[in-house]
Amino acid sequence: MSDKVDKGRTKAAPFIPADTDAAVFLGNPHIDNLMSVVIALGAEIWADRQRMKVVERLLETEGKATTAMIEAYVPTDAEKAAWEAERVAMVERVYSVLSRDTSGARPFGEERQF
Amino acid sequence: MINRRSVMGLFAGMASLAAAPFASRSARADLPPPPKTPGNVPGTLAPRGRNGRMERLPEIDLESRMDFLMSVRTFANQTLSNAAGKRADDILASKGIAPDTEVSMQDAIALLQDDPVVSARTRTWMSVQQLSWNNIKTECENNADTYLSEMEAVDNRGPGTLELNPDLEMPDYTRHEIHIQPGGYVGNDFAGHMYDYGTNGFYTGRNDQDALHMTAAFGLPIPADGKVKRILDIGTGIGQLAMALKERFPDAEVWGIDVGGPMVRYGHLRAVERGLDVNFAQRLAEDTRFPDNYFDLVTSYIMLHEVSPQGTKDIVNEAYRITRPGGIFYPIDFNLKNPRPRTAYGQYRRWWDHRWNNEVWTIKYRSNGLQDLVRAAGFDLNEEGPVALPRFGVMNATKPA
Repeated sequence: MSDKVDKGRTKAAPFIPADTDAAVFLGNPHIDNLMSVVIALGAEIWADRQRMKVVERLLETEGKATTAMIEAYVPTDAEKAAWEAERVAMVERVYSVLSRDTSGARPFGEERQF
Repeated sequence: MINRRSVMGLFAGMASLAAAPFASRSARADLPPPPKTPGNVPGTLAPRGRNGRMERLPEIDLESRMDFLMSVRTFANQTLSNAAGKRADDILASKGIAPDTEVSMQDAIALLQDDPVVSARTRTWMSVQQLSWNNIKTECENNADTYLSEMEAVDNRGPGTLELNPDLEMPDYTRHEIHIQPGGYVGNDFAGHMYDYGTNGFYTGRNDQDALHMTAAFGLPIPADGKVKRILDIGTGIGQLAMALKERFPDAEVWGIDVGGPMVRYGHLRAVERGLDVNFAQRLAEDTRFPDNYFDLVTSYIMLHEVSPQGTKDIVNEAYRITRPGGIFYPIDFNLKNPRPRTAYGQYRRWWDHRWNNEVWTIKYRSNGLQDLVRAAGFDLNEEGPVALPRFGVMNATKPA
Protein backbone atom coordinates (compact mmCIF):
# COMPACT_ATOMS: atom_id res chain seq x y z
CA MET A 1 0.00 0.00 0.00
CA SER A 2 1.33 3.41 -0.90
CA ASP A 3 1.00 6.31 1.49
CA LYS A 4 2.28 8.77 -1.08
CA VAL A 5 -0.47 11.28 -0.67
CA ASP A 6 -0.08 14.97 -1.14
CA LYS A 7 -2.11 17.81 -2.52
CA GLY A 8 0.12 18.18 -5.56
CA ARG A 9 -0.79 17.01 -9.01
CA THR A 10 0.50 13.50 -8.49
CA LYS A 11 -2.65 11.45 -8.91
CA ALA A 12 -3.16 11.94 -12.62
CA ALA A 13 -1.64 9.69 -15.26
CA PRO A 14 -1.05 9.97 -19.01
CA PHE A 15 -4.26 9.65 -20.97
CA ILE A 16 -5.31 9.09 -24.57
CA PRO A 17 -7.14 12.20 -25.77
CA ALA A 18 -10.44 12.00 -27.60
CA ASP A 19 -10.61 13.78 -30.95
CA THR A 20 -14.16 15.05 -30.69
CA ASP A 21 -13.04 18.63 -31.16
CA ALA A 22 -12.33 17.58 -34.75
CA ALA A 23 -15.88 16.37 -35.30
CA VAL A 24 -17.92 18.19 -37.94
CA PHE A 25 -21.61 17.39 -37.70
CA LEU A 26 -23.06 20.42 -39.47
CA GLY A 27 -20.98 20.51 -42.63
CA ASN A 28 -18.65 23.30 -41.55
CA PRO A 29 -16.59 23.42 -38.35
CA HIS A 30 -17.47 27.08 -37.85
CA ILE A 31 -21.16 26.23 -37.76
CA ASP A 32 -20.43 23.49 -35.23
CA ASN A 33 -18.55 26.04 -33.17
CA LEU A 34 -21.41 28.51 -33.44
CA MET A 35 -23.83 25.96 -32.04
CA SER A 36 -21.65 25.67 -28.96
CA VAL A 37 -21.49 29.46 -28.77
CA VAL A 38 -25.27 29.76 -28.96
CA ILE A 39 -25.81 27.18 -26.21
CA ALA A 40 -23.12 28.74 -24.02
CA LEU A 41 -24.73 32.17 -24.46
CA GLY A 42 -28.07 30.70 -23.44
CA ALA A 43 -26.45 29.41 -20.26
CA GLU A 44 -24.98 32.85 -19.54
CA ILE A 45 -28.34 34.52 -20.05
CA TRP A 46 -30.04 32.01 -17.77
CA ALA A 47 -27.40 32.58 -15.09
CA ASP A 48 -28.22 36.29 -15.10
CA ARG A 49 -31.94 35.57 -15.03
CA GLN A 50 -31.51 33.13 -12.15
CA ARG A 51 -29.49 35.67 -10.19
CA MET A 52 -32.14 38.30 -10.80
CA LYS A 53 -34.81 36.00 -9.42
CA VAL A 54 -32.82 35.47 -6.26
CA VAL A 55 -32.21 39.21 -5.92
CA GLU A 56 -35.91 39.91 -6.33
CA ARG A 57 -36.82 37.33 -3.73
CA LEU A 58 -34.29 38.65 -1.25
CA LEU A 59 -35.44 42.23 -1.74
CA GLU A 60 -39.01 41.11 -1.13
CA THR A 61 -38.22 39.15 1.99
CA GLU A 62 -35.09 40.78 3.45
CA GLY A 63 -35.11 44.27 1.99
CA LYS A 64 -31.54 43.87 0.75
CA ALA A 65 -29.50 41.51 -1.40
CA THR A 66 -25.77 41.29 -0.80
CA THR A 67 -23.46 39.06 -2.81
CA ALA A 68 -23.13 36.72 0.14
CA MET A 69 -26.89 36.49 0.58
CA ILE A 70 -27.36 35.73 -3.11
CA GLU A 71 -24.81 32.94 -3.05
CA ALA A 72 -26.25 31.46 0.13
CA TYR A 73 -29.88 31.56 -0.91
CA VAL A 74 -31.59 28.17 -0.93
CA PRO A 75 -34.75 28.16 -3.03
CA THR A 76 -37.87 26.50 -1.78
CA ASP A 77 -39.11 23.38 -3.56
CA ALA A 78 -41.84 25.50 -5.14
CA GLU A 79 -39.30 28.01 -6.39
CA LYS A 80 -37.08 25.27 -7.76
CA ALA A 81 -40.01 23.77 -9.64
CA ALA A 82 -41.14 27.12 -11.00
CA TRP A 83 -37.65 28.11 -12.10
CA GLU A 84 -37.10 24.76 -13.79
CA ALA A 85 -40.37 25.11 -15.67
CA GLU A 86 -39.34 28.56 -16.82
CA ARG A 87 -35.92 27.26 -17.87
CA VAL A 88 -37.45 24.42 -19.85
CA ALA A 89 -39.85 26.83 -21.52
CA MET A 90 -36.97 29.14 -22.42
CA VAL A 91 -35.01 26.27 -23.98
CA GLU A 92 -38.01 25.18 -26.03
CA ARG A 93 -38.73 28.77 -27.07
CA VAL A 94 -35.16 29.50 -28.13
CA TYR A 95 -34.00 26.21 -29.63
CA SER A 96 -37.07 24.44 -30.98
CA VAL A 97 -36.35 25.77 -34.45
CA LEU A 98 -33.59 23.16 -34.57
CA SER A 99 -36.25 20.47 -34.84
CA ARG A 100 -37.81 22.13 -37.90
CA ASP A 101 -38.17 19.71 -40.78
CA THR A 102 -35.88 21.08 -43.48
CA SER A 103 -36.61 18.42 -46.07
CA GLY A 104 -38.68 20.93 -48.05
CA ALA A 105 -35.88 23.50 -48.29
CA ARG A 106 -35.78 25.17 -51.69
CA PRO A 107 -32.82 26.73 -53.54
CA PHE A 108 -32.51 30.52 -53.11
CA GLY A 109 -32.77 31.25 -56.84
CA GLU A 110 -35.65 28.92 -57.59
CA GLU A 111 -38.86 30.62 -58.70
CA ARG A 112 -41.94 29.38 -56.96
CA GLN A 113 -44.44 27.58 -59.21
CA PHE A 114 -48.18 28.09 -58.62
CA MET B 1 -16.90 37.53 -10.00
CA ILE B 2 -17.20 36.05 -6.58
CA ASN B 3 -14.08 35.55 -4.54
CA ARG B 4 -14.48 31.88 -3.81
CA ARG B 5 -12.21 31.93 -0.81
CA SER B 6 -14.14 34.72 0.87
CA VAL B 7 -17.38 32.91 0.14
CA MET B 8 -16.00 29.75 1.65
CA GLY B 9 -14.87 31.68 4.68
CA LEU B 10 -18.24 33.29 5.14
CA PHE B 11 -20.23 30.14 4.78
CA ALA B 12 -17.96 27.41 6.05
CA GLY B 13 -20.25 27.10 9.03
CA MET B 14 -23.17 26.23 6.74
CA ALA B 15 -21.64 23.04 5.55
CA SER B 16 -24.12 20.59 6.55
CA LEU B 17 -24.63 8.17 -20.45
CA ALA B 18 -27.10 7.60 -24.00
CA ALA B 19 -29.38 5.85 -23.64
CA ALA B 20 -32.75 4.49 -22.73
CA PRO B 21 -31.68 2.71 -19.52
CA PHE B 22 -31.05 6.05 -17.91
CA ALA B 23 -34.34 7.56 -18.97
CA SER B 24 -36.45 6.24 -16.15
CA ARG B 25 -36.54 7.50 -12.61
CA SER B 26 -35.64 4.27 -10.91
CA ALA B 27 -35.75 5.29 -7.27
CA ARG B 28 -37.50 2.87 -4.95
CA ALA B 29 -39.90 4.04 -2.33
CA ASP B 30 -38.32 1.92 0.40
CA LEU B 31 -34.82 3.35 0.11
CA PRO B 32 -33.33 5.26 3.02
CA PRO B 33 -33.81 9.02 2.75
CA PRO B 34 -30.78 11.18 1.98
CA PRO B 35 -28.98 12.61 4.97
CA LYS B 36 -30.27 16.09 5.77
CA THR B 37 -27.26 17.28 7.71
CA PRO B 38 -24.10 15.37 6.84
CA GLY B 39 -21.25 15.67 9.26
CA ASN B 40 -19.23 18.84 9.12
CA VAL B 41 -15.80 17.29 8.68
CA PRO B 42 -12.89 19.63 9.44
CA GLY B 43 -11.10 20.66 6.27
CA THR B 44 -14.01 19.93 3.97
CA LEU B 45 -15.98 22.64 2.29
CA ALA B 46 -19.55 23.15 1.19
CA PRO B 47 -19.71 26.90 0.70
CA ARG B 48 -23.31 26.86 -0.46
CA GLY B 49 -24.47 23.88 1.56
CA ARG B 50 -25.89 20.62 0.28
CA ASN B 51 -28.89 19.22 -1.45
CA GLY B 52 -29.14 15.89 0.32
CA ARG B 53 -26.25 13.74 -0.87
CA MET B 54 -24.93 16.32 -3.31
CA GLU B 55 -22.90 19.38 -2.43
CA ARG B 56 -24.21 22.49 -4.16
CA LEU B 57 -21.82 23.97 -6.69
CA PRO B 58 -19.75 26.76 -5.16
CA GLU B 59 -21.21 29.67 -7.11
CA ILE B 60 -24.72 30.46 -8.22
CA ASP B 61 -23.56 31.39 -11.73
CA LEU B 62 -21.91 28.01 -12.27
CA GLU B 63 -24.90 26.20 -10.80
CA SER B 64 -27.23 28.13 -13.09
CA ARG B 65 -25.18 27.40 -16.19
CA MET B 66 -25.13 23.71 -15.36
CA ASP B 67 -28.88 23.76 -14.75
CA PHE B 68 -29.38 25.35 -18.14
CA LEU B 69 -27.17 22.82 -19.90
CA MET B 70 -29.14 20.07 -18.20
CA SER B 71 -32.34 21.49 -19.64
CA VAL B 72 -30.80 21.71 -23.12
CA ARG B 73 -29.68 18.09 -22.78
CA THR B 74 -33.23 17.07 -21.90
CA PHE B 75 -34.44 19.04 -24.92
CA ALA B 76 -31.91 17.21 -27.12
CA ASN B 77 -32.90 13.84 -25.64
CA GLN B 78 -36.60 14.43 -26.14
CA THR B 79 -37.74 17.11 -28.60
CA LEU B 80 -34.75 16.91 -30.91
CA SER B 81 -34.45 13.14 -30.69
CA ASN B 82 -38.10 12.70 -31.56
CA ALA B 83 -37.70 15.01 -34.54
CA ALA B 84 -34.52 13.25 -35.63
CA GLY B 85 -36.16 9.84 -35.33
CA LYS B 86 -39.04 11.03 -37.48
CA ARG B 87 -36.63 12.40 -40.06
CA ALA B 88 -34.83 9.06 -40.10
CA ASP B 89 -38.11 7.26 -40.77
CA ASP B 90 -38.93 9.72 -43.56
CA ILE B 91 -35.51 9.30 -45.13
CA LEU B 92 -35.87 5.53 -45.11
CA ALA B 93 -39.36 5.82 -46.54
CA SER B 94 -38.05 8.03 -49.34
CA LYS B 95 -35.70 5.18 -50.22
CA GLY B 96 -38.49 2.63 -50.12
CA ILE B 97 -37.24 1.16 -46.82
CA ALA B 98 -39.71 0.34 -44.05
CA PRO B 99 -38.86 2.10 -40.73
CA ASP B 100 -38.37 -1.14 -38.80
CA THR B 101 -36.05 -2.66 -41.41
CA GLU B 102 -32.73 -3.72 -39.97
CA VAL B 103 -29.95 -1.79 -41.65
CA SER B 104 -26.25 -2.03 -40.97
CA MET B 105 -24.49 0.63 -38.94
CA GLN B 106 -22.58 1.79 -42.00
CA ASP B 107 -25.79 2.08 -44.01
CA ALA B 108 -27.47 3.98 -41.17
CA ILE B 109 -24.57 6.41 -41.05
CA ALA B 110 -24.63 6.93 -44.82
CA LEU B 111 -28.40 7.50 -44.82
CA LEU B 112 -28.59 9.90 -41.89
CA GLN B 113 -25.34 11.73 -41.33
CA ASP B 114 -26.13 14.65 -43.63
CA ASP B 115 -29.67 15.33 -42.50
CA PRO B 116 -29.93 18.78 -40.83
CA VAL B 117 -32.33 17.72 -38.07
CA VAL B 118 -30.44 14.53 -37.19
CA SER B 119 -27.17 16.47 -37.20
CA ALA B 120 -28.60 19.31 -35.14
CA ARG B 121 -29.60 16.84 -32.46
CA THR B 122 -26.15 15.29 -32.51
CA ARG B 123 -24.40 18.67 -32.38
CA THR B 124 -26.64 20.00 -29.61
CA TRP B 125 -26.07 16.98 -27.36
CA MET B 126 -22.34 17.04 -28.02
CA SER B 127 -22.02 20.77 -27.38
CA VAL B 128 -23.84 20.32 -24.07
CA GLN B 129 -21.49 17.48 -23.17
CA GLN B 130 -18.40 19.54 -23.98
CA LEU B 131 -19.66 22.68 -22.23
CA SER B 132 -20.67 20.73 -19.13
CA TRP B 133 -17.29 19.10 -18.71
CA ASN B 134 -15.48 22.36 -19.36
CA ASN B 135 -17.57 24.29 -16.84
CA ILE B 136 -16.55 21.96 -14.02
CA LYS B 137 -12.98 21.59 -15.24
CA THR B 138 -12.54 25.36 -15.34
CA GLU B 139 -13.99 25.77 -11.85
CA CYS B 140 -11.61 23.13 -10.48
CA GLU B 141 -8.53 24.36 -12.32
CA ASN B 142 -9.18 27.98 -11.31
CA ASN B 143 -9.44 26.92 -7.67
CA ALA B 144 -7.02 24.02 -7.80
CA ASP B 145 -5.32 24.71 -4.49
CA THR B 146 -8.65 24.82 -2.68
CA TYR B 147 -9.93 21.56 -4.10
CA LEU B 148 -6.61 19.74 -3.76
CA SER B 149 -6.29 20.92 -0.17
CA GLU B 150 -9.80 19.74 0.61
CA MET B 151 -8.96 16.24 -0.60
CA GLU B 152 -5.62 16.29 1.16
CA ALA B 153 -7.32 17.18 4.44
CA VAL B 154 -9.15 13.86 4.49
CA ASP B 155 -6.76 11.58 2.56
CA ASN B 156 -5.66 9.93 5.79
CA ARG B 157 -8.88 10.36 7.73
CA GLY B 158 -11.55 7.76 8.32
CA PRO B 159 -13.95 6.21 8.48
CA GLY B 160 -12.63 4.09 5.68
CA THR B 161 -9.20 4.15 4.08
CA LEU B 162 -7.72 5.54 0.89
CA GLU B 163 -4.93 3.80 -0.98
CA LEU B 164 -3.37 5.59 -3.94
CA ASN B 165 -0.86 3.93 -6.23
CA PRO B 166 0.41 6.63 -8.57
CA ASP B 167 2.93 4.25 -10.12
CA LEU B 168 0.27 1.72 -11.06
CA GLU B 169 0.85 0.32 -14.53
CA MET B 170 -2.39 0.98 -16.36
CA PRO B 171 -3.59 -0.95 -19.40
CA ASP B 172 -4.07 1.34 -22.39
CA TYR B 173 -7.82 0.72 -22.50
CA THR B 174 -8.20 2.53 -19.18
CA ARG B 175 -6.53 5.72 -20.38
CA HIS B 176 -9.13 6.95 -22.84
CA GLU B 177 -11.21 10.08 -22.31
CA ILE B 178 -14.40 8.07 -21.90
CA HIS B 179 -17.49 10.20 -22.57
CA ILE B 180 -14.96 12.87 -23.62
CA GLN B 181 -14.43 13.67 -19.94
CA PRO B 182 -11.27 15.81 -19.97
CA GLY B 183 -8.38 13.55 -18.99
CA GLY B 184 -10.68 10.57 -18.62
CA TYR B 185 -10.74 8.78 -15.29
CA VAL B 186 -6.98 8.69 -14.86
CA GLY B 187 -5.57 11.87 -16.40
CA ASN B 188 -6.87 14.82 -14.40
CA ASP B 189 -6.57 15.47 -10.68
CA PHE B 190 -10.21 16.57 -10.64
CA ALA B 191 -11.60 13.58 -12.51
CA GLY B 192 -13.85 12.79 -9.54
CA HIS B 193 -15.26 16.29 -9.33
CA MET B 194 -15.91 16.35 -13.06
CA TYR B 195 -17.48 12.91 -13.00
CA ASP B 196 -19.79 13.75 -10.09
CA TYR B 197 -21.24 16.94 -11.53
CA GLY B 198 -20.85 16.01 -15.19
CA THR B 199 -22.77 12.77 -14.85
CA ASN B 200 -25.41 14.56 -12.80
CA GLY B 201 -25.99 16.54 -15.97
CA PHE B 202 -25.96 13.36 -18.05
CA TYR B 203 -28.65 11.91 -15.80
CA THR B 204 -30.48 15.23 -16.21
CA GLY B 205 -30.71 15.62 -12.46
CA ARG B 206 -32.43 12.30 -11.75
CA ASN B 207 -29.45 10.82 -9.96
CA ASP B 208 -28.41 13.71 -7.73
CA GLN B 209 -29.25 11.57 -4.69
CA ASP B 210 -27.55 8.47 -6.16
CA ALA B 211 -31.01 7.03 -6.75
CA LEU B 212 -29.81 4.64 -9.44
CA HIS B 213 -26.97 3.39 -7.26
CA MET B 214 -29.23 3.03 -4.24
CA THR B 215 -31.75 1.10 -6.30
CA ALA B 216 -29.01 -1.15 -7.62
CA ALA B 217 -27.48 -1.73 -4.19
CA PHE B 218 -30.80 -2.67 -2.65
CA GLY B 219 -31.76 -4.78 -5.68
CA LEU B 220 -28.64 -6.93 -5.82
CA PRO B 221 -29.08 -10.57 -4.81
CA ILE B 222 -27.20 -12.00 -1.84
CA PRO B 223 -25.65 -15.47 -1.49
CA ALA B 224 -28.02 -18.31 -0.70
CA ASP B 225 -26.53 -18.71 2.79
CA GLY B 226 -27.32 -15.07 3.54
CA LYS B 227 -23.76 -14.20 4.51
CA VAL B 228 -22.58 -10.80 3.30
CA LYS B 229 -19.54 -9.79 5.29
CA ARG B 230 -17.24 -8.54 2.55
CA ILE B 231 -18.21 -6.60 -0.59
CA LEU B 232 -16.15 -5.30 -3.48
CA ASP B 233 -17.26 -2.80 -6.12
CA ILE B 234 -14.84 -2.88 -9.04
CA GLY B 235 -14.49 0.17 -11.28
CA THR B 236 -16.13 2.04 -8.46
CA GLY B 237 -15.38 5.50 -9.83
CA ILE B 238 -16.37 7.96 -7.11
CA GLY B 239 -17.84 5.14 -5.06
CA GLN B 240 -21.54 5.74 -5.52
CA LEU B 241 -22.46 2.04 -5.60
CA ALA B 242 -19.92 1.14 -2.92
CA MET B 243 -21.42 3.73 -0.58
CA ALA B 244 -24.94 2.61 -1.38
CA LEU B 245 -23.92 -0.97 -0.56
CA LYS B 246 -22.53 0.22 2.76
CA GLU B 247 -25.91 1.76 3.50
CA ARG B 248 -27.58 -1.56 2.77
CA PHE B 249 -24.99 -3.64 4.60
CA PRO B 250 -23.70 -1.35 7.38
CA ASP B 251 -21.78 -4.14 9.12
CA ALA B 252 -19.98 -5.38 6.02
CA GLU B 253 -16.40 -4.60 5.02
CA VAL B 254 -16.92 -2.64 1.80
CA TRP B 255 -14.24 -1.88 -0.78
CA GLY B 256 -14.32 0.22 -3.91
CA ILE B 257 -11.41 -0.02 -6.34
CA ASP B 258 -10.75 1.89 -9.53
CA VAL B 259 -7.83 2.48 -11.86
CA GLY B 260 -8.40 6.22 -11.54
CA GLY B 261 -6.55 7.65 -8.55
CA PRO B 262 -8.38 11.01 -8.73
CA MET B 263 -11.67 9.15 -8.81
CA VAL B 264 -11.15 7.13 -5.64
CA ARG B 265 -9.55 10.11 -3.92
CA TYR B 266 -12.73 12.11 -4.49
CA GLY B 267 -14.84 9.08 -3.59
CA HIS B 268 -13.01 8.83 -0.28
CA LEU B 269 -13.74 12.52 0.35
CA ARG B 270 -17.43 11.92 -0.26
CA ALA B 271 -17.49 8.88 2.02
CA VAL B 272 -15.71 10.72 4.83
CA GLU B 273 -18.12 13.63 4.55
CA ARG B 274 -21.01 11.22 4.87
CA GLY B 275 -19.40 9.19 7.64
CA LEU B 276 -19.46 5.95 5.64
CA ASP B 277 -16.81 3.34 6.39
CA VAL B 278 -15.89 2.42 2.82
CA ASN B 279 -12.33 1.55 1.79
CA PHE B 280 -11.11 2.99 -1.51
CA ALA B 281 -8.07 1.82 -3.43
CA GLN B 282 -6.50 2.65 -6.77
CA ARG B 283 -6.13 -0.84 -8.18
CA LEU B 284 -6.89 -2.73 -11.36
CA ALA B 285 -10.06 -4.78 -11.60
CA GLU B 286 -8.01 -7.52 -13.27
CA ASP B 287 -5.43 -7.47 -10.47
CA THR B 288 -7.31 -6.61 -7.29
CA ARG B 289 -4.62 -7.95 -4.92
CA PHE B 290 -7.21 -9.42 -2.59
CA PRO B 291 -6.89 -13.01 -1.32
CA ASP B 292 -8.64 -15.90 -3.02
CA ASN B 293 -12.29 -16.42 -2.06
CA TYR B 294 -12.34 -13.17 -0.08
CA PHE B 295 -15.63 -11.56 -1.03
CA ASP B 296 -19.25 -12.57 -0.59
CA LEU B 297 -20.40 -10.10 -3.24
CA VAL B 298 -18.47 -8.56 -6.14
CA THR B 299 -20.25 -5.91 -8.17
CA SER B 300 -19.73 -3.21 -10.74
CA TYR B 301 -21.91 -0.44 -12.10
CA ILE B 302 -21.77 0.15 -15.89
CA MET B 303 -18.04 -0.56 -15.95
CA LEU B 304 -17.64 -3.52 -18.29
CA HIS B 305 -18.80 -1.68 -21.40
CA GLU B 306 -15.81 0.63 -20.87
CA VAL B 307 -13.36 -2.30 -20.94
CA SER B 308 -11.49 -3.95 -23.81
CA PRO B 309 -12.29 -7.59 -24.67
CA GLN B 310 -9.04 -8.86 -23.15
CA GLY B 311 -9.56 -6.68 -20.08
CA THR B 312 -13.06 -8.05 -19.68
CA LYS B 313 -11.83 -11.64 -19.79
CA ASP B 314 -9.13 -10.90 -17.24
CA ILE B 315 -11.58 -9.08 -14.96
CA VAL B 316 -14.12 -11.90 -15.03
CA ASN B 317 -11.41 -14.42 -14.15
CA GLU B 318 -10.17 -12.21 -11.33
CA ALA B 319 -13.71 -11.81 -10.04
CA TYR B 320 -14.00 -15.59 -9.92
CA ARG B 321 -10.75 -15.88 -7.98
CA ILE B 322 -11.75 -13.43 -5.26
CA THR B 323 -15.40 -14.47 -4.94
CA ARG B 324 -15.86 -17.09 -2.25
CA PRO B 325 -17.68 -20.35 -3.00
CA GLY B 326 -21.37 -19.56 -2.86
CA GLY B 327 -20.64 -15.88 -3.36
CA ILE B 328 -22.07 -13.73 -6.12
CA PHE B 329 -20.54 -11.73 -8.95
CA TYR B 330 -23.11 -9.34 -10.39
CA PRO B 331 -21.78 -6.75 -12.86
CA ILE B 332 -24.53 -4.27 -13.69
CA ASP B 333 -24.39 -3.09 -17.27
CA PHE B 334 -26.29 -2.67 -20.51
CA ASN B 335 -28.65 -5.47 -21.39
CA LEU B 336 -27.02 -7.94 -23.75
CA LYS B 337 -30.21 -9.77 -24.62
CA ASN B 338 -31.23 -7.07 -27.07
CA PRO B 339 -27.87 -6.09 -28.48
CA ARG B 340 -29.07 -4.57 -31.74
CA PRO B 341 -30.89 -1.23 -32.05
CA ARG B 342 -34.30 -1.61 -33.61
CA THR B 343 -34.03 1.35 -35.97
CA ALA B 344 -31.59 2.98 -38.35
CA TYR B 345 -31.58 6.01 -36.10
CA GLY B 346 -30.66 3.73 -33.20
CA GLN B 347 -27.73 2.40 -35.20
CA TYR B 348 -26.67 5.92 -36.10
CA ARG B 349 -26.82 6.95 -32.42
CA ARG B 350 -24.84 3.93 -31.34
CA TRP B 351 -22.11 4.85 -33.78
CA TRP B 352 -22.16 8.52 -32.75
CA ASP B 353 -21.96 7.55 -29.07
CA HIS B 354 -19.07 5.17 -29.75
CA ARG B 355 -17.08 7.36 -32.10
CA TRP B 356 -17.72 10.88 -30.93
CA ASN B 357 -18.78 10.55 -27.31
CA ASN B 358 -15.74 8.28 -27.04
CA GLU B 359 -17.52 5.17 -25.82
CA VAL B 360 -14.48 3.34 -27.07
CA TRP B 361 -15.38 -0.22 -26.08
CA THR B 362 -19.18 -0.29 -26.04
CA ILE B 363 -19.68 -1.90 -29.44
CA LYS B 364 -17.22 -4.66 -28.61
CA TYR B 365 -18.85 -5.10 -25.20
CA ARG B 366 -22.09 -5.97 -26.96
CA SER B 367 -20.47 -8.62 -29.15
CA ASN B 368 -17.86 -9.94 -26.75
CA GLY B 369 -19.84 -12.91 -25.44
CA LEU B 370 -19.70 -11.78 -21.83
CA GLN B 371 -22.08 -14.50 -20.74
CA ASP B 372 -19.75 -17.15 -22.17
CA LEU B 373 -16.76 -15.55 -20.45
CA VAL B 374 -18.60 -15.63 -17.12
CA ARG B 375 -19.50 -19.29 -17.53
CA ALA B 376 -16.01 -20.19 -18.76
CA ALA B 377 -14.53 -18.62 -15.64
CA GLY B 378 -16.49 -21.14 -13.60
CA PHE B 379 -19.57 -19.22 -12.47
CA ASP B 380 -23.11 -20.55 -12.58
CA LEU B 381 -24.84 -17.78 -14.53
CA ASN B 382 -28.46 -16.83 -14.03
CA GLU B 383 -29.62 -14.31 -16.63
CA GLU B 384 -33.24 -14.31 -15.52
CA GLY B 385 -33.11 -12.48 -12.23
CA PRO B 386 -33.28 -10.69 -10.03
CA VAL B 387 -33.14 -7.40 -11.89
CA ALA B 388 -30.82 -5.30 -9.76
CA LEU B 389 -31.52 -2.19 -11.79
CA PRO B 390 -34.57 -1.89 -14.02
CA ARG B 391 -33.84 -1.76 -17.77
CA PHE B 392 -30.28 -3.03 -17.31
CA GLY B 393 -29.06 -6.54 -17.90
CA VAL B 394 -29.15 -9.44 -15.45
CA MET B 395 -25.75 -11.04 -14.83
CA ASN B 396 -26.28 -12.98 -11.61
CA ALA B 397 -23.22 -15.22 -11.38
CA THR B 398 -22.67 -17.56 -8.45
CA LYS B 399 -19.38 -19.29 -7.70
CA PRO B 400 -20.22 -22.92 -7.10
CA ALA B 401 -19.94 -23.93 -3.45
